[in-house]
Amino acid sequence: MSSDTREKPDAKYRHDEDGGPDPEEHGGHGRGGMGEEVKRKEDRRFITGRGNYVDDVKKDGMLHCEVVRSPHAHAEVKNIKTERAEAMDGVVAVLTAEDLEAYDLATMPTLMDDTQEVLVKDKVKFQSQEVAAVIAEDRYLAKDGAEKVQVNYDSREPVVDAETAKREDAPVVREDIDQESNHIFTWETGDEAATREAFEAADVTVEEDMYYQRLHPAPIETCGCVADWDQDNEKMTVHMTSQAPHAHRTLFSMVSGIPEHKVRIVSPDVGGGFGNKVPIYPGYVIAAAASYVLEQPVKWVEERSENIQTTSFARDYDMTGRIAATEDGEITAVDVDVLANHGAYNAAAQPSKFPAGFFKIFTGSYDIDAAHGELEAYYTNTAPGGIAYRCSFRVTEAVYLIERMVKVLAQELDMDPAEVRRKNFIPEDAFPYESATGWTYDSGDYHRALDKALESTNYHDLREEQQRRIEKDDDKLLGIGLSTFTEIVGAGPGKQCDIAGVEMFDSAEIRLHPTGKATVRIGVQTQGQGHETTFAQIVAEELGLDVDDVQVEHGDTDTEPYGLGTYASRSTPVGGAATAVAARKVREKAKSIAANELEVAEEDVVWDRESGQFHVQGVPEQSLSIADIAGASYMNSPPDQEPGLEAVDYYDPPNMTFPFGAYVCVVEVDRETGEVDIRKFYALDDCGNRINPMVVEGQIHGGLAQGIGTAMMEHVSYDDNGNVTAGDFMNYLLPTAMEIPEMETDYTVTPSPHHPIGAKGVGESPTVGSPPAIVNAVVDAMEHAGVSHVDMPMTPDRVWGKLEEAGLAKDPAEDLELDIDGEEAAGD
Amino acid sequence: MEFGGDFELEGVPPADAWVMMSDPIAVRNALKGCRYITRMDDPGFGFEDYEPEEGLETLPEADPAVVADRAFEAGVTYAALMQVGVGSVKPRFETQITIEERDEEAHRMVASGTGNASSSNFEMESWMTIGETEAGSRIEWGAEADVTGRIAQLGSRVIDPVANKIVNGFFTEIEQQMTDVEASDEGGVTQRLRNML
Repeated sequence: MSSDTREKPDAKYRHDEDGGPDPEEHGGHGRGGMGEEVKRKEDRRFITGRGNYVDDVKKDGMLHCEVVRSPHAHAEVKNIKTERAEAMDGVVAVLTAEDLEAYDLATMPTLMDDTQEVLVKDKVKFQSQEVAAVIAEDRYLAKDGAEKVQVNYDSREPVVDAETAKREDAPVVREDIDQESNHIFTWETGDEAATREAFEAADVTVEEDMYYQRLHPAPIETCGCVADWDQDNEKMTVHMTSQAPHAHRTLFSMVSGIPEHKVRIVSPDVGGGFGNKVPIYPGYVIAAAASYVLEQPVKWVEERSENIQTTSFARDYDMTGRIAATEDGEITAVDVDVLANHGAYNAAAQPSKFPAGFFKIFTGSYDIDAAHGELEAYYTNTAPGGIAYRCSFRVTEAVYLIERMVKVLAQELDMDPAEVRRKNFIPEDAFPYESATGWTYDSGDYHRALDKALESTNYHDLREEQQRRIEKDDDKLLGIGLSTFTEIVGAGPGKQCDIAGVEMFDSAEIRLHPTGKATVRIGVQTQGQGHETTFAQIVAEELGLDVDDVQVEHGDTDTEPYGLGTYASRSTPVGGAATAVAARKVREKAKSIAANELEVAEEDVVWDRESGQFHVQGVPEQSLSIADIAGASYMNSPPDQEPGLEAVDYYDPPNMTFPFGAYVCVVEVDRETGEVDIRKFYALDDCGNRINPMVVEGQIHGGLAQGIGTAMMEHVSYDDNGNVTAGDFMNYLLPTAMEIPEMETDYTVTPSPHHPIGAKGVGESPTVGSPPAIVNAVVDAMEHAGVSHVDMPMTPDRVWGKLEEAGLAKDPAEDLELDIDGEEAAGD
Repeated sequence: MEFGGDFELEGVPPADAWVMMSDPIAVRNALKGCRYITRMDDPGFGFEDYEPEEGLETLPEADPAVVADRAFEAGVTYAALMQVGVGSVKPRFETQITIEERDEEAHRMVASGTGNASSSNFEMESWMTIGETEAGSRIEWGAEADVTGRIAQLGSRVIDPVANKIVNGFFTEIEQQMTDVEASDEGGVTQRLRNML
């Protein structure tokens, strides 16, 4: 993706004529500007238990929806008998595909142009798929009713993994779209011939297979909605767990035929999204259809197991990586093959023009001349998805691949992995950098980040300790893992990314009131990221306001300007840019009002970022605050200006942003049990200018916890019959405080040159960057015995297997001197 | 999933055990959570509204002719209603079992079945052989089941103990019933019955 930009009229605001913010140098203006650790405005209601989530929404006459789900992964539906359920007291209706067909709602489009059944009529394609729905007066009755719906199935052989799905004799998942095999698409990137040449000429080549397991975002709040059809006004209001309310409004309107101005989506407090709440799910459509038919509000809220088993999963990439290099460790080419399991539908929630999303950033932080990647995607009898989970459209898989492969190369060459990285980093003066797969990296300083990380963690001492332990035949091996990743976030230029054709810009509207306070409405929406605080800080910074005088509103499509939602770390890169630009538009008008008030020419008015005052050039005592000017805009508007002080901006970014980091993970591997203890996790993140360092740190803490969960515990597994064997929190293990080590965060600042406030976004860096650091550490502990890879999750069982294979396992009883005869004991 | 095992019946000759294992009512009584086992081809049978006759006698009280009449037959399909509790999941399985094979000489029975509950299903092949031992008889049994749905999701570490408990409870109960029969079998009820089967 090149930096060729479409120069929109608001491009002139990217570089601030009054000098952009420099939070590192100045640390804000003391009133909650950029760089200040402002406490989160939203935390009062969260901490006191007064958050308002979808399940808190209660309406008069509200009915409840329970979905009847298939126990089979692959089965024909022979018939559905609803009479027993319908006869129950309190059951209002039982819906099947036939009922929905009457409203043309039996199927819905996925975000990848596939079609998914809302309720299955002919054939179930994954376990727990939606087959019927019971609408009842309360939730218990709805559940009891669902038990009474009888569905007769004719079960078929399922196919649960991509490797099997690929076989010619594999059962076909999608006859409904005339598929004769399970193949969905082939995707290729890079230059195959150049890569082959580089491999042929290479001194050294390495190869490694790695499976990035199926994960689930598992937000603590599951998905749900309350749909409310207002017959009098012919308007549909849906309170829903949505990361993209406007996009959902458009999709709702397109699917249902209800005019878009008669659809209102409200996303109240959302208890975690992580990408899980970007797609539309059948439950939303069922609840809306039921409300429309019954003319009563209908609530649908998933149970935990429904969330894990049916909503958008992440990863499931079976990858083979190859690197070609010179004997002194200079990488000349990288090549990758991927086998992707997309589940029963092609429903990956990613808006880019590329079938594999941003996976082609697999050259990472390294200056590699030749690169080639090929991917085959397959349908299987598993839940659909493949993108969601705190990841910018497959960058997580790409980063894992390249960061693991660099380690594999270092091992082959017997070089320090830090040295291999240094040797191959894109140099600081090469930015903007064009990668072999076609991205333009905006800015970076990888050497500085790695140097700081190694110094902060006493890397060389750790290496010495590692050697000592090996020599002493210690019970616990020490492993040091590095990850020097580059992220790609901020989707995105409207030319390259869209949802249902809507370009991926984002928006902000700032309105100053006569008393000088501001209301800001943003197109992005928070699920815990802290927008109500950080977006207020951007406005406070850009207008010289106190952060307490700025109210941020989001998540209601009736009032907010159109936005594409919060995921893929795009809020700050896109919505934050829109907010800064809107503020600068306000400031521009404010200057003309100030000129009128101060009775000078507009060119003579300057704005001082530090004080927030507008004053006559060279005469700082003749000044006005933005509050003074806001008052004047309503009470004494200049003859050539409209009254009022507000602005709106729809920002189409010229490029993505490329945050990066240098992570160091130190582990101890227990040779007796295979247990891995993460002794230290050091995370240096460079996300450009930081709006609120405390919020950034919070994001990193959460993301690292999820990265640790990924590396050590989480896997949505299936058995051969297509049963989800990790479909609840008993089997799908999320890390708790017990599993999270002390984390040390650090930073460098390399601003994005094209972003109005130099920010890059940080929400996903830790989940993206940390799994390879942890795996590299565990491998590092065992590599002296020849171990080159351990697949995630690195459970004690799996690690112990590797220890034993490598001859490193220790028998706990070995060193025990048992006093069998009891001679000594006899003396007691 | 595969299950299997064996069970010793002390003081019970194989022929007597065969009689007991052939009686749907005795089996029903020994199987915890089983509400009934009855022929599917009974006129008017339906899982929803079938009410089993209660208080039916088994050996030694029962009339041997009645017991012989209701004994499992090869080629016949039986209906059973089973409620199984696995953790928090308590599905009520509407089960159909077909007796595929009955070998009177070898005391071997093979059955296949399917069970449907609201959120779980299973398909099963099972077999049982009764052999003679010094102390009485040994029942060897095995089953291969394809389980889908909620129960399957719980995994074998949850299912196995439940299955073992049901099976052990079943054989213990059968043994008890057999002991009652042997103790009271002065008139040779089982002997007469054996000839009727």
